[in-house]
Amino acid sequence: MNGSTERDTDALVGALAGCAAPVRRLRSPHLRMAIWFMISVMFAALVVAAMGLRPDIGLRLQEPQFVVEVVAALMTSMLAAGAAFCAGCPGRPLWERFAPLPALGVWLASLGTGCWAAWISTGPEGLRITPDLMCFPYIVLVGSVPAVLILAMIRRGAPIAPITATMLAALAAASLGAAALRLFHQQDASLMVLTWHVGSVAILTGIGALIGRSFLRWPQNAKTY
Amino acid sequence: MTQHEPQSSRAARDELWRDWMRAAQDGDNSAYTRLLADILPVVRAMVRRKWRNANDVEDIVQDVLLSIHVVRHTYDPGRPFGPWLSTITARRIADAARRTSARSANETTVEIMPETSLQDETKSDQDVLDDHGEIQRALAGLSATQRQAIKLMKIQGLSLEEASAVTGKSVSALKVTVHRAMKVMRRILE
Repeated sequence: MNGSTERDTDALVGALAGCAAPVRRLRSPHLRMAIWFMISVMFAALVVAAMGLRPDIGLRLQEPQFVVEVVAALMTSMLAAGAAFCAGCPGRPLWERFAPLPALGVWLASLGTGCWAAWISTGPEGLRITPDLMCFPYIVLVGSVPAVLILAMIRRGAPIAPITATMLAALAAASLGAAALRLFHQQDASLMVLTWHVGSVAILTGIGALIGRSFLRWPQNAKTY
Repeated sequence: MTQHEPQSSRAARDELWRDWMRAAQDGDNSAYTRLLADILPVVRAMVRRKWRNANDVEDIVQDVLLSIHVVRHTYDPGRPFGPWLSTITARRIADAARRTSARSANETTVEIMPETSLQDETKSDQDVLDDHGEIQRALAGLSATQRQAIKLMKIQGLSLEEASAVTGKSVSALKVTVHRAMKVMRRILE
């Protein structure tokens, strides 16, 4: 380190105090979550409209498991966004960062129930995994604009938990993509959805966590110690 | 933030800090000065409690102060100030620890540093005093803006980004200011 003295610190206090330009306060995480979710859902709806709703959507929407799964994915997305914004506000309670976990749990449980039902009705045949490589690019497509938007928004916060913040941001965008995918992509075997949809969300969330430290930095990180 | 402080006085102090920070966010320099002066000993005590090497304490304290300055817009006056300050301080201490351990992984400790000069001292005390006086004379020949830039970057050792955060000027504007200031100082010293 530089071995600075208390006098240097006092000089810094003087320099900082002399330049307290007015700043625009960061809006509450809840409001930012609402803004992000509204814009992102509108974009997802546009993509769904462009791709065309799946022909059996009316039938699917009458199935409680399908509705629970899609709503849980949407809730995961919204709560992960809120948690990502909270993770950029120093002094907020830590539990807020775990807010998406209940919705994520319901989403996974609904898919688990589906897998169990398939096992009971058709045995091992109902749990076959076949390649469905379009899921990942579709989720990336729907999640692209929401991801860019949320990354730009979390950059306004303080980088106190960079890995958590970008991981939650990626989870928010990817789970929205997965929810939208269920509306235009005909893939209903729960194990396939678990593997390809949730698997894609997990990969994208992992990528989000990896970029955290380089994406969200304190401006003075350039200081040489 | 001190452990043995009564609850009521801690609450009163937090209230005061909250008001000062709210005013500072609106551009009140005197409130900001009071706030920074008041939190400085608290930050210093927090860093000292967590950091063993006393030589590094002021560097970390400065990091904390710069971080507070840069993210002061993230403080919500509707919430207590203490947790906001402690979170930033704890984060910066953890960052310093990570940097130190990353650096020590690439360093080799030697018992005797190789000598760079055969003389015991390269400069006498008088030479050092003379240099100091010359630099003060050269600094006096600068404009206030140039002097601030030189003090921040060449004397306090801030990076361009840090100095930009402190002064509110762009990095390129600061580069130009420092370049011109150095030219003026060189001319005076010649």
